[in-house]
This record gives sequence, structure tokens and C-alpha cells, in this order.
Amino acid sequence: MSAASMEANEQYNYDIIKKFAVMAVFWAVIGMFVGVYIASELAWPFLNFDSPYISFGRFRPVHTGGVIFGFGGSALFATSYYVVQRTCQTKLFAPGLATFTFWGWQAIIVLAALSYVTGYSQGREYAEMEWPIDLLILFVWVAYMIVYIGTLMLRKQPHIYVANWFYLSFILATALLHTFNNIAVPVDLFTLKSYSLFSGAQDAMTQWWYGHNAVGFFLTAAFLGMMYYFVPKHAGRPVYSYRLSIVHFWALSFMYMWVGTHHLHWTALPDWASTLGATFSIMLLLPSWGGMINGIMTLSGAWDKLRTDPIMRFMIVALSFYGMSTFEGPLMSLKDVNALSHYTDWTVGHVHSGALGWVAMISFGSLYHMIPRLWNTPMYSVKLINAHFWLATIGVLLYITAMWISGISQGLMWRAFDDFGNLQYSFVESVAAMHPFYAMRAIGGMFYLTGMCLMAYNVYMTIRQAAQATETAGAPAAATA
Amino acid sequence: MADNAHGQPQSSGGVQTTGHVWDGDLQEFNNPLPVWWTYTFYVTIVFALVYWVVYPSWPVGKGFLPGINTVTYVNAEGQEESWHWNTRAKLLAETQEANLAQKPYFDKIAAMDFDKVVKDPELSSFVVSAGKVLFSDNCAACHQAGGQGKIGFFPNLTDDDWIYGGHFDKIQETLIKGRRGYMPPFGEALSAAQIDELANYVASLSGIKADAAKAAQGKELFHSHAAACFYCHNDDAKGRQDIGSANLTDKVWLWADVPGAETDAGKVDAVRKVIASGLDKGVMPAWEGRLKPEQIRLLTVYVHELGGGK
Repeated sequence: MSAASMEANEQYNYDIIKKFAVMAVFWAVIGMFVGVYIASELAWPFLNFDSPYISFGRFRPVHTGGVIFGFGGSALFATSYYVVQRTCQTKLFAPGLATFTFWGWQAIIVLAALSYVTGYSQGREYAEMEWPIDLLILFVWVAYMIVYIGTLMLRKQPHIYVANWFYLSFILATALLHTFNNIAVPVDLFTLKSYSLFSGAQDAMTQWWYGHNAVGFFLTAAFLGMMYYFVPKHAGRPVYSYRLSIVHFWALSFMYMWVGTHHLHWTALPDWASTLGATFSIMLLLPSWGGMINGIMTLSGAWDKLRTDPIMRFMIVALSFYGMSTFEGPLMSLKDVNALSHYTDWTVGHVHSGALGWVAMISFGSLYHMIPRLWNTPMYSVKLINAHFWLATIGVLLYITAMWISGISQGLMWRAFDDFGNLQYSFVESVAAMHPFYAMRAIGGMFYLTGMCLMAYNVYMTIRQAAQATETAGAPAAATA
Repeated sequence: MADNAHGQPQSSGGVQTTGHVWDGDLQEFNNPLPVWWTYTFYVTIVFALVYWVVYPSWPVGKGFLPGINTVTYVNAEGQEESWHWNTRAKLLAETQEANLAQKPYFDKIAAMDFDKVVKDPELSSFVVSAGKVLFSDNCAACHQAGGQGKIGFFPNLTDDDWIYGGHFDKIQETLIKGRRGYMPPFGEALSAAQIDELANYVASLSGIKADAAKAAQGKELFHSHAAACFYCHNDDAKGRQDIGSANLTDKVWLWADVPGAETDAGKVDAVRKVIASGLDKGVMPAWEGRLKPEQIRLLTVYVHELGGGK
């Protein structure tokens, strides 16, 4: 193992992967901390301290940007660079550009967070960055695309491994989505403010075409790529079905592009667009499940490892949450269900069962698999991985249960009529009724964050242990020389 | 790590791998698509096809396929009309249905005297039900959810202290026309010592322990043409509801945060601030034109019944 890894270190470009892996863990801690903070603000509003800088409205994009682009993005850069090199048996193409993607991406996360806190936002969900940051994203993304496609072209294998299809689909779709959703006219060259090229319902439709495909390609396709490498690799089992992987890949890539309008049911959006969004969401169910089936069936030959291997547990729980939230999504996209769920915490719960349950869990599993191989040393503590697993699982369950109850209560309270046909509750009464669930959600988040801190400590100690091992290994070598 | 030998194709229950091997041991079985998966996928496609026939779906040319489902409603001319299913028609149909159900109650409220509405149990229940919604949507942003108001900003509607009068007609007038509370600032017209004396006097009217000597001076000023407080607040300092000047003797405070001050000196100081700076923020918008006359009448009864109607 050791000799093989030493070889791998020379054979592949690991330095860039290490940097992204460390930053993934860093941004996870920061992003989740901010998440817990704003969840606590909703439950205990005094935490605003009457300061605009830390108010919910400004901290919320700091949280979403930190976890999606900081943590998720860095984890994707790290794993995609790892997977593409290992499955193509070649070093990264244009390592200089790869380094640029690292520094550029980190700069984007920092600049975006600073701009939100100081009150600059495009007001487009998950695309709040103002135009100069958008341009930087574009440059970094093109560089990423060049590195990735270049590496694929250098491959020493005739076939491209399935994980790479998903990563490539994610890179191409994100480039498309980011560009078209952020077409805007700056007020002038020296202000951050700009106005969208689209207006009204078209603007909303563009935004949610982006918004839902950010979920579809950034948070789903890419992490399926991660799953398709790390699950079979870690289980030591072949992928269950090659054919399923092809069919669900194309079906998923095709269907996702249509569904964004289900975020705009019962609005000024034309009804026909709303219908298409809903029906494509329904047809997306099975293509989504294809990934879950392939993952779970791949693991099914290695059930015995579930008892001993917490990394395997992360993976199976991630796949289960993936299956659950991709069932819930199409359900919520139906107009009549949406009439109850829209604008409520149910949506927030749904997003987090995907984000905490699927995206983060599969990333944890992959990072725990990859980090020992990158630094050529076992993880510092398997017990801590296990503790992380349980804290994360309890956290996500508390979170989504709280949001289901509060979301459905909100939806029912908002539409409750009395005998005279008048609304039974005022809005503020529904807010007051949410309090216990907001507290429960914040506590769920605290569990999750605590697990994340254990991971950060575990990773830090692993890297330190690797550095010490290199020193002791280096000393006698120097003496002989 | 992996149990199988590197690079050796595996088989499982007779199923072979595709023969491709990546990164030492990554392979893929050649399993067919699960049958239940395939058929459920077909079912979702059929579901979508049916949905497209029933509801508005694909854009065609400048229009779109309207779907076979329809919504029937009564249009503005009172004629029944059918439209292909769409959210606008559905909204029209549902609002009409709701309005029709409530019309008899609103008609009665529009025609009956206020005191008769209050005595009719069924109408009273309706006022409480509909009034709560109207109040929450339109009034609660300032007067708060229960009508308790906010010191320094918005009057309390649940006590029996009325700036412009608490009879039905006066409340209705307030709702229709809106109100504008105004008191000129005296910070430049009077000396600091004079304002201090006035503050002590006004505080003493509500039983706050004030400096007796200053209060006596203040009383004189209050009734003098120099300060001219009595022009608006009257000789008895009980205010005039016809112009909305406050009663200064009833221990009810709106602008001066007297209840929020802990010490007597603090209470006097709260009064002093209002005398010095005056106030120009007591604006209530006019609701005529925003709410229908019968809704205003209903809200009049609702506010009257919040606790303090005269």
C-alpha cells in the first residue's frame, strides 16, 4: 500500500487535490457554522444584535455560498481531479491552470461572502454574486473545463469511466447555467450594482432554470460522479449495471433542464410552463433513482463492511437520503402538493435532506476514503469518523423532521378557513407556532456542525501525522546520504 | 482494500463485467435494467402524457395547447363563462364563490346601524372572524396584532382612551379619512428651563412625582400665551378630540415613553423630549378607496369592540 501510494504521488498530481480537500473541510466548518447561526437567529431573534452585517438576509447567502460553493465546490474540484487522473491514468493537463482554479475559486468564496455581509447581492438565489465576481467565476470555470477535458483527452484508457461523464456533465451545464443566469448590465464600471437583462416572469424563469439546475448538476450530477468512483472503489465491487448508468445518465441530464419552473407554480408564470416543469419532475424520478439503485446494488455485495466501516455507512446513508429526497422532489413539484408546500419550511427541509443527507454525506465518505491515500497514512481516528457519522445522522434527522412538521403546519395554517370563509390564522400566528421547530432545527444543525468539527480535527491530526512520518522517514535517509 | 485481484474481471451470478478496468480494480457488471425500474419509468411518462392532455402544456406557435380541463366562473357582467384550466380562472372562480358566501353578511353590515350590528350575535361573530383578517392584513403592521399599539409610534386601540373619539362614527371617520397628528417643537421657542418646568407640570398631572416648584412655574407657562399649550390641550389639559390633541391627565401615554422610564426623573425627561422636539410622525393613512365601504364599516365595529369603544 505504502509503496503503491508513493508511486501514485509521483504518477498523479496530488498537491492540488490536497489543497482543495483541506479547503472543503475548512469551508464546511465555516458554512455550517453560519448556517447554525442563522437557524438560531430565526429561533432566538436577539442574536441579530440589531446589526445589519450579521442579519439573516445577509448571512443566509454566506451560508449557502459557503456550503454549496465553498465546501461542495472544493470537494468536487478535489475529487474530480483525483478521479479523472486515476481513471485516465494520467497527470492533470495544464497544472498551472489547475492551480489557478484553486486560488480563483477560493477568492470567489471569500469575495462573495464579504460582498454579502456588506450588503451587495443580485438577489438571485444561489447566484447572489454581483457581476465582477460572476466574471471571475466564468474565468475559473473555463480553466476548470480546459484542465478536465484536457486530462480526459490524455487518458491511457480507451473508455471514459462513468464517474467522468457525470463530472463533465456538471462542468458543462454549470458553465451554461452560470453564464445565462448572470447576463446583466452593470450600472457603471466602478459599481457592483447591475441589472438583469431579463425582466418579470422571464427573469424569474431564468433564475429558476439556473436555481434548480444548480441543484441538478452541481449538487446531483457531480456528486453522482463522486459516488460512481468512491462507492465501487471503497466497496471493492464492480458497479452494478453499466447499462443503467448510461440510461439514467442521459435521462437525468435531459430531464433536469426542464424542471426549474416548478419553483414558480401559482405565480405570474404561464400555466403551460408550470405544467412542463411539474411533468418533467415526475419523469425525473426514475432517472434519479437509477443512481441510487446502482450505488446500493454495488454496495450490496459488501454489507458485512457496514458493521465495521463508518465510511461505508456514510455512503449507504447518503444514497438512502438521495433516494428519499428525489422522491420528495417530484411529489412537491405537483401543483396541488406545491400549493401546500410552497413558501413553507417543507422546502427548506427538502433541500437539507438533499444537502446534508446526500451531498455532504457522500462527500464525507469520499473525503475519508481519499485523504489517507493522498497523504499516504491511515486516518488518525476511525472512532472519530464513527462519531461523526452518528452526529451527522442524528443532526439531519432532527433537522428534516422539524422542517416537515413546521412546513406542513405553516401550509395548513395559511390555508385554514373558519365557518364564515375567513382565514383562521394571521401570518404572525403561524410564525409564533414555528418557534419550537426552529429551535429543534437549530439543535439538529448543532449536532451536524459538531460532527463536522470532529472531522476537521481528525483530518488535521491525520495530516500532522503524515508530516511527522515523512520527517522520521526522511532523517535516516539523510544520514545514509 | 479490495478482495478481488487487481484487473481480473469479476462475475456475479453468471453476469459478466463489461471487460473494462480502470484504476486497478474499477469495473462494471453487465446487468440489464431492473424491470420494475423500466416499467415505473414508463408509467411516469404516461402520467406526463395524460397531464399534457388535461392541463395547458406545450407552446405551439404564439399560443399553447390549452388542455381539455375547464374552469367555470361568473364574469364581471354576471354571465357564466368557461375557460381552459388556468390559475387566473381558478382564482376568479374561487374568489367569487367566497365573496358570494360572505355577501349577505356584508350587505347587512352596510345597511344596519352600528349598535344593532353589535347586538346581533351572528353578525358579531362574523365581525370578529372577518375583522381579524382585515385587521391583520391592514392594521396590525402599525397597531400590532392585538391592536395594542406601540409607545412612541402607534396608538393603543384596546384601551378606552381615544385621541379622535371612540364613538362608532368617529372611528369610521378616522378609518375613511386617515389622521395626521402634529405638535410643534418648542425647543427653540422656549428656553431649556421653561421646557423643564412644563415637563414637570405635565408629568405631575398624571401623578408622577415631579419638582413641585418647577411644576407650579410650568402650570403658569402652560396657561400663558408665551407657551400657549392650552390652545390645543385646553385649560383643563384634557385635550380636544376634534383636533386630536392628547389628554395629558389620564396617565395614558402615546408619544412620551413614560411607562418605559424607570425613575420619576426619567419619566419627566420623556415628557421633556416630546415638548422640545414636537412630533410630526402621527400619520395614519386614509383607507377610503383602499378598502370597500362595507369593509370599513366592519373594521369600525371590530376596532370599537377591541375593548374601549364609547
